[in-house]
Amino acid sequence: MNVNHHVLVPLGLVVLTGFLVPWLLVRARWAQQAPRLALGVWAACGAAFAAATALLPAQLVLSSASSHRLADMMFAFELPTVEQLLGLDGRERFALALSLAVLSMPAAAFVRRLARARRVRVRHAGVLRLVGRYDPALRATVLDDERPAVYCLPGRSRRVVVSSGAVDALTPAQLAAALAHERAHIAGRHHLLVAASEAFAAVFSRLPLARHGEGSVPLLLEMAADDRALRRCTRDALATALYALASGRAPRSAFAAGGPSAALRMRRILTPHSAGHPVLRGLMTIAAAGLAMTPLIVACCSFPG
Amino acid sequence: MHVRRLGELEAEIMDRLWAWQRPATVREIVDDINRGRRVAYTTVMTVADILHRKGWLRREKAGRAWLYEPVRSREEYTAGLMRDALGDSQDRPAALLRFVEVISDEDMDALDAALRAARGDHDPHLGGGSGA
Repeated sequence: MNVNHHVLVPLGLVVLTGFLVPWLLVRARWAQQAPRLALGVWAACGAAFAAATALLPAQLVLSSASSHRLADMMFAFELPTVEQLLGLDGRERFALALSLAVLSMPAAAFVRRLARARRVRVRHAGVLRLVGRYDPALRATVLDDERPAVYCLPGRSRRVVVSSGAVDALTPAQLAAALAHERAHIAGRHHLLVAASEAFAAVFSRLPLARHGEGSVPLLLEMAADDRALRRCTRDALATALYALASGRAPRSAFAAGGPSAALRMRRILTPHSAGHPVLRGLMTIAAAGLAMTPLIVACCSFPG
Repeated sequence: MHVRRLGELEAEIMDRLWAWQRPATVREIVDDINRGRRVAYTTVMTVADILHRKGWLRREKAGRAWLYEPVRSREEYTAGLMRDALGDSQDRPAALLRFVEVISDEDMDALDAALRAARGDHDPHLGGGSGA
């Protein structure tokens, strides 16, 4: 058998970030208590998985010596210099092209999603500019419609929008809470993570990382925005705003799957600080996952060439 | 800055035509805007032409001037935006981030229970003044 043992590291990373960590993360209770940490782990898993899938075919193609050098650079988080890239031999160039080709699949899906969402937003903002009225006191655009709605356009045409129905239905404190939540989405550039999770789900549809991530990331983003809003408003204002807006619209069971659960968010807003140290537990999970890689790295380094 | 002014002028023109609910000439629009601030006839004419090309206004010749009229009502455009806002269109990328997503009956019940429980446990003032 002539399989290069340097394949072990990217392979281990693929298993770890594509299967194991997502499996743990989706079951972890700390994730909803420390949503930003959990989002960080999802994002890191996505990036590491994409990198590992790109390295995997390269390591299979490369000669033992050059794949060892590649592995060394990987451990040192070292990028190749221009000279090194120019001095690549034929086989190494092929490996590089292979890596880039694999990497371009999720990257292209991500860019496509962003571009499509942006087109929708630009069109929406164009109509909004003529139909809506900017309210300087709210720092939001008001849309004349009885149905209560609060939303934001993230990205370049950023703005927060409220319907007149929402202004009527909410108390000033509730409205301020909902607006703070939307501003947190914009400030945190949450649309990028949504697009990334959608892109992953489109490219790697069967992968646990993509499947669980697509479900978890939007909900965690809502929770992160809730947390940020709570710095400026009371728990009661945010929870009752959520309730008022949710109850003001027609419930539809058909679409119920998928969307971030308002009930989960509400319970979380109303019951602050559950026992335990969610962040600590989260960090320990991450550390444990990192440790799982050690044997592979040791194995890889102790058989040079 | 200049582009932004034009954008504001677009909104001002649409506002008037929607409010009047009848076709109007550029002259009428200019006169009405001039009650608040100075604006050149040619500027309004240019912007009305832009709105026509963008599909917001239709126009027909009345003597030597064009009569402009909104293609659709403000309510129709608003309804389109609300469709996006309420998440009625399912198969599109997440362009907007909503405060509340579409919600199921079961979720609504759970929400109800969560709120009632919290009010009963933590803050009796909000539950209708029943006392702790």
